[in-house]
Amino acid sequence: MDAKKIKSALADITAERDPTLKSAKLASLCSSLWAEQGIELVVVGGSAIEMLTEGAYASGDLDMCHLGVATLPVRQRQEIMGLLGAKGGPRNWQVAGMYFDLLGPAESFSCTPYRRVRGPYGDFLVLQPEDLLVERVLMTFYPGESQTARNCARILISVALRGEIEMNWAEVRRLANRPEYRNLTECEKLVKQVADELKIKSPLHPN
Amino acid sequence: MNSKSKVPCIPIEGSISWEDWLKGRRARRESSQLVSPGINRRQRSSSDRRLKKLFNGERGLPFTPTEKL
Repeated sequence: MDAKKIKSALADITAERDPTLKSAKLASLCSSLWAEQGIELVVVGGSAIEMLTEGAYASGDLDMCHLGVATLPVRQRQEIMGLLGAKGGPRNWQVAGMYFDLLGPAESFSCTPYRRVRGPYGDFLVLQPEDLLVERVLMTFYPGESQTARNCARILISVALRGEIEMNWAEVRRLANRPEYRNLTECEKLVKQVADELKIKSPLHPN
Repeated sequence: MNSKSKVPCIPIEGSISWEDWLKGRRARRESSQLVSPGINRRQRSSSDRRLKKLFNGERGLPFTPTEKL
């Protein structure tokens, strides 16, 4: 991406006042720049949930992780983010009127693909909703009850049940049974609760 | 197992275009609001100091109302 295109993208992102659009556009731009260096990034955490659900959840920082390598050299991080006129580092930067956090290698156990959005400055990846859901259900109960995590899980379930994101429910079941989570009962219960509220049959209760 | 929906779905395989992702925003927000109405943003986090400094005491920009999506 040449300097002129980067400048134009940055002007657009800086002027953007919708927080979800701003994050998505920045994810698109950062993903493109890092892809030129052979590094794939993926949107994670609350930022990923926001892009999949419009849940009015995310704050003013975009969280991304990298794929395929254990670490990214600090010099490379600073040089690439320097192309965007970013301030700070080496793990979080202020750029285009928000914060960008590059958190390290992505933690995902799902066998489904990362979701892919063809963004305005190039494709960007979003962590699998199957992983996000099982993780948020875990955070709902551990280390203590969390209403915020519960709301997030309920939002993901609702958007999936109503067909706005495609969720592989068999994969949700498999992940919830994995030793990393061990929370299938909680997942089944929360999915059924939301499904009952929406008057939709729970996909985790086939009978 | 998903119910039938006319809005563009974020698919498992392949990709969703930017236009379709934008088109689906309102429906996704409405589905979210059905089960968790209002603003769901966390009240606090370890990033509060920097966020509040950048966003005039808030943790981020205000969300666009559903009817404007």
